[in-house]
Amino acid sequence: MNELFTDIVLGASWTVLGYTLLLDAVMFTLVLLGARRVAEARHWKGAEGHGEIFASPITPAVSLLIPAHDEEAGILDTLRAALGQRYPALEVVLVDDGSTDRTFELVAERYRLAPINPRRTADLPVDGEILSVHRATTGDPLVVIRKTSVGKKSDALNAALNHARHPLVCMLDADSLLEEDALLRVARPFVEDPANVIAAGGVIRAANGALVDRGTVVEPRLSKKWLVRIQAVEYLRSFLLGRTGWADANALLIISGAFGLFRRDLVVEIGGLDHRSLGEDADLVVSMLAHQQRVGAPHRVVFVPEPVCWTEVPETLGVLGRQRRRWSHGLAQLLWKHRRMIGNPRHGAVGTMALPFFLVFELLGPVVEVLGLASVALAAGLGILDLGVAAVMIGLALAVGTLLSTTAIAVEVLTYRRYRRGRDLVALVVAAVVENIGYRQVHAWFRLRGLVAALARRTPRWTVMPRVGFTTDEQPALAAG
Amino acid sequence: MTGPVGGVLLAGAAVTALIIALLLMVATAHLLRGRRSARDDRRKRELMPLVHAVLDDDPVDGAPLPDVVGAPADLDEIVLELLPQLRGSDRQTLRDLLAERGVVSRAVADLTARKSWRRGRAVALLGSAAGTDHIAAMVELLDDRSLEVRCAAARALGKAGDPAAVGPLLRATHGERALPSGVLGMALLDLGTTALPVLRDSLTGRNQVARGLVAELLGVHGDPSAAPLLEALVRDAGEDLGVRRSAAAALGRIGSPTSTEPLVDALSNSPDPGLQRTSAEALGRIGHPLATIPLLAGLAAEDIAVRAACADALAALGADGRASLEAVATGPGAAAPVARAALDELGPAVRRAEPVGAA
Repeated sequence: MNELFTDIVLGASWTVLGYTLLLDAVMFTLVLLGARRVAEARHWKGAEGHGEIFASPITPAVSLLIPAHDEEAGILDTLRAALGQRYPALEVVLVDDGSTDRTFELVAERYRLAPINPRRTADLPVDGEILSVHRATTGDPLVVIRKTSVGKKSDALNAALNHARHPLVCMLDADSLLEEDALLRVARPFVEDPANVIAAGGVIRAANGALVDRGTVVEPRLSKKWLVRIQAVEYLRSFLLGRTGWADANALLIISGAFGLFRRDLVVEIGGLDHRSLGEDADLVVSMLAHQQRVGAPHRVVFVPEPVCWTEVPETLGVLGRQRRRWSHGLAQLLWKHRRMIGNPRHGAVGTMALPFFLVFELLGPVVEVLGLASVALAAGLGILDLGVAAVMIGLALAVGTLLSTTAIAVEVLTYRRYRRGRDLVALVVAAVVENIGYRQVHAWFRLRGLVAALARRTPRWTVMPRVGFTTDEQPALAAG
Repeated sequence: MTGPVGGVLLAGAAVTALIIALLLMVATAHLLRGRRSARDDRRKRELMPLVHAVLDDDPVDGAPLPDVVGAPADLDEIVLELLPQLRGSDRQTLRDLLAERGVVSRAVADLTARKSWRRGRAVALLGSAAGTDHIAAMVELLDDRSLEVRCAAARALGKAGDPAAVGPLLRATHGERALPSGVLGMALLDLGTTALPVLRDSLTGRNQVARGLVAELLGVHGDPSAAPLLEALVRDAGEDLGVRRSAAAALGRIGSPTSTEPLVDALSNSPDPGLQRTSAEALGRIGHPLATIPLLAGLAAEDIAVRAACADALAALGADGRASLEAVATGPGAAAPVARAALDELGPAVRRAEPVGAA
């Protein structure tokens, strides 16, 4: 009996190790694909200058949709950045989703809002009550919708979609700052290939610690908090390499809700954002893909590695935990909703590669990781753990994890170069190592709890992240020097 | 266990070596970045006077100065950066300079390079630097195995400015190696008005994608000679809906009053809300009073976007349209809110809003 138990524990440990190595191999392949793409872009950035896209009469107009709930800390910076976009034709539709702070008052005062009769362009269902619609009288193309909150970001976005008038809609988080050319760059695929491109996303980076002046990140800096630094590495790895690789394989599932551009007619056609979903951004992309495949229409989801949106990331473990549980819960909902697509070759690379990957490695990953840790602890407790072998295996797992992050940092330094200070680069490298010890395991625990919540069919709830606002500097020019 | 453990150790050592190599690369790149940037700025400052000297010479007999021909390779980058901002003789002078320095011949050689980025970069360079000298070679790249190279070839043909490229560009709208319509659209627009006769002819061609694209481009050009052909497309119920929508939008941009009738017909009788909306928008742009009554009828359309477009179009019709909207705005029914919203859009003063619930 004792022998059998030992065999089970050892077998579990080896299974977990095999799983981890397989995951690392898949990730490394994605990283290589992404790195190859990035390396090619260093030689030649393509045929088009962004100035030409700006000047082109066929560049479509964009409605920027910003849902905001209690965002007084940074809403004016976000709006300044959104309205200051270098783009030929855009409007901003801000939804004040039942804010209890001064979000609306600040915007009303700054942009001298005046009430107007709503001009609706779609009839998507909205659960919250629309209280009033306002327009800026300062000459800025800004519309503000006030509504009661039902605790769902998707509801606020659907309200914005009902009032958006342009053929492309960009969804932007209210705690995010767009770089001046971000919209122009992410819209480029739509200009070049309007018949096929249905969605495009750009790079999101952690804004915490960066110096901001009137909605512009004047000097990207890393926060002094290690939790934020680790997330900065996570974002680099995910956006600079992972998504580039998925997009190259024509299997990109996630366009971040913090900054994504979509064809408006298609979003309306599929009924807007699903109000039951916690992962409304990924759900939107997969629903659009499924719809296009069903009707036999062309579809391409594009990731543009250049345009940058700076966003606030959680600064405490509690807030991070809530965010990651929500993501995991949302992913489980997504995979359940679109379960018929998983492994289905009719859905191309999305069905045969991306969805199975998300099921096996993203959704079930934390289960395996937590079970693996438990089995190692159990084996150690029973005295059946070969410490030498365990150390070698754990060392390899750490090394591969560090390699993935280091590759992302190398891509950042060799190409995009947003972090210019040497100390920030050193901090990124240290965070890439530290991430594997402690953070990764806690992260797995958060995700596991999200999965459990989904399995228990708990009512999805969109939790609000406390905002600290952006770091400003009285003398940005000096800081930049 | 020794076997697997040994393998794992080996793999671990390889991964660690990779990490160290990457870190060294990161450190070197970071340290050299400042120095390289300062060097580039210095070189640019040194070379700019040479470029100015070339441009100040008489373009007819001003052959490139010997010291400019032998100047460092950084000069090419400066000239290529400057080229799109120049026109006429200055542009030609810099093109001659690039040819003299061998940049153009190197690009021509690179058109058949194995690496796609080389081919792409070469054709892009030829588009802005070589005029119409290498059109045939560039057209060949419209069939390249790399989509990015094909796109670069299309854009280069547009920049080169030879109307002979219109045919090959339109043919690239379909087939196994078809090019995205937006890329072709920008290239065709770059060719300017010299392309208009060929574009008009292709409106009646068999290629549906090309018809839609060309309809849109003729609208952007505001080509009044194309109006009758575009009107025929809007009228043709058997035509692809996308093409009809493009044609309707183009008629709005052209603004010919004769287009009012087919657009009114599409607004009133088409079952497609997309075509109805585009027709309403076009009628607003044209601004003919005959559109008033059909647009008023459109305020009761089932599709909310069509209603909004009709209201906006009425607002654009001037005093008559505004009076009609005001009459509707004070009345009952689904048309009233869209009429009020459209009236809000008029003028700098924002009108008093009705309570949202009243809608």
